Amino acid sequence: MKSITWIGGIVAAGLLVGYSLRLVATPAAAKPAALVAAMDATDSTPYKVGDHLQQSPDLVQSPYKPSNKSGDAFKEIAWESLIPKNWDAMAPFKGLKLDKMEDGDPRAVEALLKAKQYWKNAPIDPSMDGASVRIPGFVVSLEREGESLKEFLLVPYFGACIHVPPPPANQIIHVHSAKPVKDIRTMDAVWIDGVLKVERSDTMMGSAGYSMTSVKVEPYVDNSNQ
Amino acid sequence: MSFLFRLAARSAWNRRLTLALMMLAIALSSAMLLGIERVRHEVRASFSQSVSGTDLVVGARTSPIQLMLYAIFRIGGATNNMGWDSAQKLAKNPAVAWTIPLSLGDSHRGFPVLATNGDYFRHFHYGDGQALQLAQGQAFNDIFDTVLGAEVAQRLHYKLGDHIVLSHGMGGMHLTDHADKPFVITGILARTGTPVDRTVHIGLDAMEAIHLDWQGGARIPGLSIKAELVKKFDLTPKTVTAVLVGLHNRAAVFGLQRDIADDTSEPLMAVLPGVALDELWQVVGIGENALLVVSGMVVIVGLAGLVSAILASLGERRRELAVLRSVGARPFDIFLLLALEGLAVMLAGVLLGVILLTLALCALAPMLSAQFGVTLHPSFPAVGELQLLLWTIIAGFVASLLPGLRAYRLSLADGLTPRL
Repeated sequence: MKSITWIGGIVAAGLLVGYSLRLVATPAAAKPAALVAAMDATDSTPYKVGDHLQQSPDLVQSPYKPSNKSGDAFKEIAWESLIPKNWDAMAPFKGLKLDKMEDGDPRAVEALLKAKQYWKNAPIDPSMDGASVRIPGFVVSLEREGESLKEFLLVPYFGACIHVPPPPANQIIHVHSAKPVKDIRTMDAVWIDGVLKVERSDTMMGSAGYSMTSVKVEPYVDNSNQ
Repeated sequence: MSFLFRLAARSAWNRRLTLALMMLAIALSSAMLLGIERVRHEVRASFSQSVSGTDLVVGARTSPIQLMLYAIFRIGGATNNMGWDSAQKLAKNPAVAWTIPLSLGDSHRGFPVLATNGDYFRHFHYGDGQALQLAQGQAFNDIFDTVLGAEVAQRLHYKLGDHIVLSHGMGGMHLTDHADKPFVITGILARTGTPVDRTVHIGLDAMEAIHLDWQGGARIPGLSIKAELVKKFDLTPKTVTAVLVGLHNRAAVFGLQRDIADDTSEPLMAVLPGVALDELWQVVGIGENALLVVSGMVVIVGLAGLVSAILASLGERRRELAVLRSVGARPFDIFLLLALEGLAVMLAGVLLGVILLTLALCALAPMLSAQFGVTLHPSFPAVGELQLLLWTIIAGFVASLLPGLRAYRLSLADGLTPRL
């Protein structure tokens, strides 16, 4: 009878060891949740293509105002703040009566093509240069150092690189991380603190854009409903 | 306490053979666990070191992972080529800073042959943004010049000025050689630790030249164009396998990627190397986890062996423990004695495992780097690995408490009464 107790004990110890090994082996940060995540490891991402990260609505409506003392605090901004305030997205459609047109009207098709080009070359807001900001977004890997990520693009919506038309130049931030970040892959959601820099370039094709040396990169947690 | 240590050590020395076997089991299982973890990390690191500064890899439509594998890592073959006119159109795009055309498909004694142009040596970067360095000689000037990767030169004992013959297609056989058009080695690259080391580089025009008398997939009998005469032919390549693209502004990458995908003149695909690698790890990750689980099970089997060996040894040691009790050792001392032994065996076993792994890596590293292009460095365990080892030791220690508990509960009389 005693031996059965012993065998049971050994099996229990083995299971304990196996479980702890599994927790160690699973790279996710949250230990107990890792087991749940491992169940559907192939597609554990909670985001759908085109998803934006949630920010408080008043932030989206009130544009970024540069504060006088810069550098110390990182002010949370919305992606909309990166678009110049006086830029009109609907400018290519001006003078066209879209509601009077048929589907496939050559003028509409032409206007749409023009609009696509116009949006792609959307201008940047020079007043954002030097702003200390905090912004959430999705990561697109560029350069790694060993296994850590040291250079990436930050985009506002999920799947920005593959499935939907690419975001315009003023909705992409080219981030150099101050120190390489571990355990981050393409399309992970992160918060980034850093100082924005406006890159001017004399080549055509609107290759001006935002870049940033990030001070802090941390996993995105939705704190809007807490 | 120190008395207990001495006692445990003496007692262990008395049973050294059994304990050594136990230690070996622990060592092997922990070396396996650690080895899998190490290989996994090194493979990832060496893959991400293979290319740097390249914004897009452009090629015929296929899987992004596949394109990366054959264009950058020289693993597997190309499914299709892209037209040279598309490559040139790409190079003229105002957003593009530089392009490197790559043409693959031939081999030299099992090493892949890469046809490219001078831009490769100017613009290709690896690791932490390092440029390619020539250890000896110079890049190609003349048509039948070739530049070797460090590994090729070392393994085949080539030096500058040697003549080599390329083979048609992949595979180490000499059945279909381009023997009529030998190449001269004009340069040998410095070691990079990337697939470049295993590559034979030739010019795009040379790739065209060696295939001049190959039509319809085979050499045409009777038609032989002499090496001296090839310059009379048009040696502009008609197709290339892939083009590496660098941009003026990295943020423009999505726009160009979309332009390439939407181009109606030829169906092409552009891949961000970092994104494709992340996708690759996602696929490979499933297999890696399975391997880790298996090696975890091996550790559990090792631990179960440890426990059963200690439990079995309790039978042999009944007298020994009873004598200790009779001279005044408390049951708790007996428990400590056994726990101490378990911990010591675990520690020594894991340490031995690390040493074993390091030795194995030292011995196997050249073979692995030659066969698979994965460079493994015997090094001190990283944080993640130390964590794994710590867990193994803790688990082993906890498991070895079981026999201790049993010994704790054995009565004095039980050990001293002879049983038949």
